[in-house]
Amino acid sequence: MKTKLLTLAAGLMTATALATVPAKADVKIGLIGGVSGPIAAMAPAMIDAAQLAVQQVNEQGGIGDGEKLVGVVGDSACNPQGGTDAATKAVNIEGVAGIVGPHCSGAVLAAAGSVTIPAGVTLVTPSGTSPEITNLEDNDSVFRTVPSDDYQGRALARTLKDMGYGKVAVAYLNNDYGTGLANAFKTEYVDALGGEITQFAAHEEGKASYRSNLAELAKGGADTLVIFDYGDGTGLTILRQALENGFFEKFVGGDGMKSDAVINELGAENLANFVSSSPVGEKSDSLDIFNEAFKGVGGDPDAIFANTSYDAAFLLALALEKTGGRKEGVGAALREVSNGEGEAIRPGEWQKAKELIAAGTAIDYKGAAGDHNFDAKGDVPGTFALFEVGADGFEVVSEMN
Amino acid sequence: MEFLGLVNYALFMAIFIAIYALLALGLNIQWGFAGLFNAGIAGFFAVGAYTSAILTTEAVDGRIGGFDLHFVIGWIGAMIAAALVAWPIGKICLRFRSDYLAIASIGIAEIIRLVIKSEPALTNGARGIPGIPRPMSDIGYMESQVAYLIIVLAVLIAAYVLVERQFNAPWGRMMRAIRDNEDAAKAMGKDVEFRRLEAFIFGAALMGLGGALFAHFNRSITPEAIDPMVATFLVWIMLILGGSGNNRGAILGAAVVWIIWSVSEIATDRLPHEYAIQAKYIRLFLIGLMLQLVLRFRPEGLLPEPLRGDQRSAKGGADH
Repeated sequence: MKTKLLTLAAGLMTATALATVPAKADVKIGLIGGVSGPIAAMAPAMIDAAQLAVQQVNEQGGIGDGEKLVGVVGDSACNPQGGTDAATKAVNIEGVAGIVGPHCSGAVLAAAGSVTIPAGVTLVTPSGTSPEITNLEDNDSVFRTVPSDDYQGRALARTLKDMGYGKVAVAYLNNDYGTGLANAFKTEYVDALGGEITQFAAHEEGKASYRSNLAELAKGGADTLVIFDYGDGTGLTILRQALENGFFEKFVGGDGMKSDAVINELGAENLANFVSSSPVGEKSDSLDIFNEAFKGVGGDPDAIFANTSYDAAFLLALALEKTGGRKEGVGAALREVSNGEGEAIRPGEWQKAKELIAAGTAIDYKGAAGDHNFDAKGDVPGTFALFEVGADGFEVVSEMN
Repeated sequence: MEFLGLVNYALFMAIFIAIYALLALGLNIQWGFAGLFNAGIAGFFAVGAYTSAILTTEAVDGRIGGFDLHFVIGWIGAMIAAALVAWPIGKICLRFRSDYLAIASIGIAEIIRLVIKSEPALTNGARGIPGIPRPMSDIGYMESQVAYLIIVLAVLIAAYVLVERQFNAPWGRMMRAIRDNEDAAKAMGKDVEFRRLEAFIFGAALMGLGGALFAHFNRSITPEAIDPMVATFLVWIMLILGGSGNNRGAILGAAVVWIIWSVSEIATDRLPHEYAIQAKYIRLFLIGLMLQLVLRFRPEGLLPEPLRGDQRSAKGGADH
């Protein structure tokens, strides 16, 4: 048996050794996501969206002098152990010049703290929404293309107040996403705007029935339920059971609830009183351009965080074009290519961007998920819109601010 | 650059192996010496990690702690806290035998995880605690990894020497006697319940220390890190594969499993580009396959428990 194990180990080693022959002058970026683990259902679409950006870059001239951009996929398993492991491999074995990911906030914190910040590699997460990421001491090397939960929770609270919602109950998924949104919403709705939250309760994911949770939530007499959860997971179950049992009249969701699964499963006719907020690009056709392109490669454009993943990869590629493929200065370059000033670049316009950068003209990337004008902490403020369910899926009700 | 990268990766793996080896050593005291089936490693790992995080981070509004203490105090605190948590658990649950204890301990680890996720005032809830100081982190990337590896190795060697001493001392023989034949040990006048509790608490303290080392290495701890998959079952695989009842086996198992876990990704990445995502699932399959093979062909592990004056251990395990 010992020999068998040795053979197995030796086999793995050889496979490793044989394969690490880097093609000359490729520029690599790490695409690190929770391929296995709790978000395994969401991760493939996110990685595919990032790969789409890589593909477009290569089709339209590559980085610098026609060097190829290569996306190296790593599995962060949505936990710190996997996140640091994948980041270490990407940085040290593959020699990436920047990283898109990891997907989960805990993995972002750990990978940034123990690998990318010390190694001086820039990291852009498309879905790490925890407010804790804002305060990392990162030497300007941790960015994100998804707004911190803080922004969206507050924006949603202001919008609901403006629209005349009264007493609401809040149900949120007990993870960093749900907790972050719910707490920001509560702070703004109650403390700043004087609204009333009758019940405020966390729930665990994956249960078959949430009727007892819903009965509890309905106790305070609120007619509106605010759900911070995922529309293709537990959030769908909660919404369905709330509708079936008539616990609430009106329903509000965060961006996680703006999922086609909700419409497909429950039917648009039952969702007349359902609205959800979601980040949008500022009155631009960037999102449509991305959606078309992503459909073209067989992707589902409505997959959660697909557009932020695409933007993260495209922005990183733009920054690398500026630094000539080197990891040094990527942070500063990211700010230069997306600060609201300069010639607008939309998704897929790599060739145009490349020419402008070569000519020394300032450019400003208008992404599929927003304009991404990074603030001092590497966060994006995000613009949001409120969506309702119409005949053709989700339609914008109003801009949020 | 290429070579330095490999060195950096090796350093990182060595640190992780040392941390997991501490967990496996702790489990070895409980399972290998005393025969206690503890499936709640993640719980003690979490208690240690969070205790050290609370003791050593700077003060933050809305959460207890932030005592800004030296990391050594944090680590000692982690061991004490894990031991204190283990005491009442052991007192109640150790009356169960084998599988029942496994079920109880898995439940307790889940309770600890949910408390950590749901108590923002204590642990910052689902967001976790960032900004944990890492000793010797102001120097360069590789230097700081080397420094941390030295610290972790020193801790691991100290733990190994102490546990190995106990294993060969009368205490270790007594524990194995209790494990193998409880009634006989009782008839010899041994206080079985107290001894089992002792082993449970020692093991838990080592697991807590492992958790603290992990939190300081990552400079953050979040509830995602106490997923039973990576904090409980992976440790079990390490101990079973390395050889339960053998401290060197526990450390070797940690090394072998982590190296396969981590290096297999590099190997599976060589599959064609279209399978980049699918390739990740093959790793999970590999670990499962490995455990199956070991259990089938070498149930006593790579390094079996040393049996004094007994030739059975030399014969190998193919003859069961």
